[in-house]
Amino acid sequence: MSALSLYVDKGSFLNKLHPYTKLLYVFAAILIPLIGGRLLLFPFIILCSLILLVIGRVFRRALPLVAFSFTLIIVIFLIQGLFYHKNENPLFNIWILTFYREGVLYAAGIALNILNMLLSFAVFVLSTSPQDLVEEMEKNGFSPKFGYVINSVFQIVPQMMKTRDTIVDAQRSRGMETEGSLFTRIRAFLPLISPVVMSALINTRERAIALEVRGFGRKNKRSYITDRKKSSADIVISIILAALIIVVSVWRILSCLS
Amino acid sequence: MPIIKAEHLKYRYPNTEKLALNDISLEIEKGEFIGIAGRNGAGKSSLGQAINGLVPRFYNGAYGGRVEVNGRLVEETPVEEMCEFVGLIFQNPFNQLSGAAETVFNEVAYGLQNLGTEPEIILSRVEQVLKRLDIWQYRDRNPFELSGGQMQRVAIASILCMEPDIIILDEPTSQLDPQGTEEVFRVVDDLTETGITIIMIEQKLEKLAHYADRIILMSEGRVIDFDTPEKIFSRDDLSEYGIKAPAFTRICREYGLSLPDGTYPVKLEDTKRLFLEKNIRPLKEAGTGALRLNSKAGDTEELFRMDNVDFYYTEGTPIFQKLSLTLNNRPTAIIGQNGAGKTTLVRLLKGLLKPVGGSIYFKNDDISKKTVAMLADKVGYVFQNPDDQIFKYNVLEETMFGPLNIGMSEEKAKEEALKALELMGLKGRESVNPYDLELYERKMTAIASVVAMDTDVIILDEPTIAQDYEGRKLIGDMIRHLSSEGKLVIAILHDMDFVEENFERVIVMAHGRILSEGSAEKVFSEDEVLSEAKLQKPYITALRELLGA
Amino acid sequence: MSNIFKTKLNAATIVLIPACIGINYLGKLFAQFLKLPLWLDCIGTCIGAALGGPVIGGICGAVNNIIYGLTTGDNISLVYALTSLGIGIAVGITARMGFMETFPKSFVCALAGGLAAVIISTPLNVMFWGGTTGNVWGDALFAITQANGMPVVIGSFLDELVVDVPDKILTVIIAFLILKGLPAKLTALYDVNAEIERLD
Repeated sequence: MSALSLYVDKGSFLNKLHPYTKLLYVFAAILIPLIGGRLLLFPFIILCSLILLVIGRVFRRALPLVAFSFTLIIVIFLIQGLFYHKNENPLFNIWILTFYREGVLYAAGIALNILNMLLSFAVFVLSTSPQDLVEEMEKNGFSPKFGYVINSVFQIVPQMMKTRDTIVDAQRSRGMETEGSLFTRIRAFLPLISPVVMSALINTRERAIALEVRGFGRKNKRSYITDRKKSSADIVISIILAALIIVVSVWRILSCLS
Repeated sequence: MPIIKAEHLKYRYPNTEKLALNDISLEIEKGEFIGIAGRNGAGKSSLGQAINGLVPRFYNGAYGGRVEVNGRLVEETPVEEMCEFVGLIFQNPFNQLSGAAETVFNEVAYGLQNLGTEPEIILSRVEQVLKRLDIWQYRDRNPFELSGGQMQRVAIASILCMEPDIIILDEPTSQLDPQGTEEVFRVVDDLTETGITIIMIEQKLEKLAHYADRIILMSEGRVIDFDTPEKIFSRDDLSEYGIKAPAFTRICREYGLSLPDGTYPVKLEDTKRLFLEKNIRPLKEAGTGALRLNSKAGDTEELFRMDNVDFYYTEGTPIFQKLSLTLNNRPTAIIGQNGAGKTTLVRLLKGLLKPVGGSIYFKNDDISKKTVAMLADKVGYVFQNPDDQIFKYNVLEETMFGPLNIGMSEEKAKEEALKALELMGLKGRESVNPYDLELYERKMTAIASVVAMDTDVIILDEPTIAQDYEGRKLIGDMIRHLSSEGKLVIAILHDMDFVEENFERVIVMAHGRILSEGSAEKVFSEDEVLSEAKLQKPYITALRELLGA
Repeated sequence: MSNIFKTKLNAATIVLIPACIGINYLGKLFAQFLKLPLWLDCIGTCIGAALGGPVIGGICGAVNNIIYGLTTGDNISLVYALTSLGIGIAVGITARMGFMETFPKSFVCALAGGLAAVIISTPLNVMFWGGTTGNVWGDALFAITQANGMPVVIGSFLDELVVDVPDKILTVIIAFLILKGLPAKLTALYDVNAEIERLD
């Protein structure tokens, strides 16, 4: 388990689902309110995601993922509530600022959409190992070379990050300042980033060799040692999600026609 | 029919002028154990990689002659196909991990998956290989979190499970600590039993002589000689090729004890037998050939004083408790296994870490109140990995960076830098891009860049890693030179032979405590201390004791 | 011109991608450590683009954001993979055209990267955030444009322009300085036209 991935294996119902089923849930959660075009659909799906997070025992871990969006959402309410170009009907006043109904509604739409996207995605990210997903995709024809790229990022990036403190110490040992005026700090950037970039790039040469001597890039089909079959729960959930998307689409088309 | 056959092999890397391999012809039979010896840059790795096709297919460049492996023409076979027949293991354990796998098991399986082997066969082969190399217990661990020795065994397992006919081992232990080295050589012992053809490049010539049926001696891209270890290491001109004969050969030569065919023995058993037959006991100084230094130090004023220093990284797990130590300007080596606290100790001296309790004085100034920058012009510290610091476009600028930072004038900085570069054997390389140099030269650059700061104290962390005989000699000379100028040199070392030859004071550490300290002679005679610190004696000392000195 | 998009997808270029993404992360990490008022989080993408060409650059950028999304649980940054893709391609094309060779020329490359970022990000900002970018200075500018009744797209464009272009110019300059120091034995691996020469 790498430090970079958010995935935790809690042995939960969510962990056991096939990665594709969870991906389909993310799609459905994002598409249904957009196709349906009603603000009311958002709270319904957000609730769904929250319940899934609780069942998957990852609710606490989901909170920080969503928390960062709150400042953005506040900014959006401020700017749109005050300045939205369709603003007409004042809704309320705070001090000398007038918030308009149109802008606040528009901002609410954006905010709910953001929350919905983040929460449904959290369901997926917190319960799915990236390696599992990549392997399933490779079995379905995704290029193993790109599969390698994604997997290796999760392994190699944390190793590169670990060198940060050593480099800082090594350059400070040679008398370099890392604090002080903006100019001093900008000047310190290159001595800090260059060693790690250079050694990372130099290391790619050896890593490429390591891959070549292990048959990387062969034309024959790769073999896989884990066998992950879709369970009956996967099938049932997938059918329900697909059906919901279809129902909402049909309903929207009909309501547009009438 | 030979399994490897090279005819007039020539090779030049792109953007270079010198031939890396120059007209090499040789034949290797199936099941042989072949050693390759020579100084760094002699073309050993290039020759190894010409066997699995990385030369020329991976690097491009210019190629001549032909190499046949298993009846296949190397230059026409893609490396990813060649890997079914030839496996390669190289120095850096970390870079050999594919990066594609989260567990040791999957890492080892990666190559077989690429070959498209049946899943059942993969599972059983990987299990078998992991058990054989004694890493089965780590199968679910992340390979990046293992120690160097464990990683290197994972790398060997990854190659071994692909069942190649030939395995090339390119200095597999040069970047490992003694324990990791030991672990890997145990695996090599095991490999020799299998009858697989092995080609091993190695600077530890005692080991190479022990394993090899025949040895290729290389210099400047050419094969100088290809013969039995006894014949190769009995040559009179070895120093011309930058190598030093194994300890056994040296000591026998000193006492004129030769085998019936006139060569000197290269193995322990033969050496012991000869000494016994002639009933000779070697003298205490035999075989070292070391120039014992006479620094003007003797016993001078103290430079560092640590008083009852307490230290921890996380509260509750102390590293040091009430540690006291004084250092004067005798060159001092700190030895001990990984985790003994050596690096923490020198980082405290450098001010990179601050003691939690107690105090550290440098020339009677309490350094816990000083910043790293304030100490930069007094205490120099060369980090283990040169790539953590090198960032300039040429060697000279890199070496001048520190001196300029601590306020030297441009001229003075240049003067000091040139002096330091000459000391580290880099004269004439001032305008080269440091990253065009090999690792062992970059280490020299890093050392020079700190020496140039003209500090009172120089701390070296594992300076001899990846160095050959000549590089180690250069570092030894540097230590002597700085000592004679009255500077204190402190080094963390795993290389006991180097410690014995170059340091006046040795500090043995284990579990955050100082177990013993004193002259090399004293420390290396304390068997109990060494076994508690899990350290081995220098090769030649152990040999002398074994021969009854 | 025909080989501007020529790409070798061998082990050497494939392993370049994770290294470049690591460089992106570290750029950001060091910028934070030094408290610089910049992101500097696509230095690796620019290096990948200059070494491996526009295709590799684009992949570096896109994968970077996909991974970032997977590791922060933020699927909105997944959408900005398009922006990073654009930066990688723009820098890759201009670099192959020779605009990474000298310091003055690298500004063309920097501008190309910066503009690609602005042109692709603006519609995304409008779609997902109603035009804001989350940067204080940029958003203040956006608020002013909106208060003065300018169209959302123009406001968002300006917002993005003041935020992204200076950052990208500095990013490309840093990438240029690093690339200049790369050893020849490494760059030779990425030479798309390399062939084995015979010596006999």
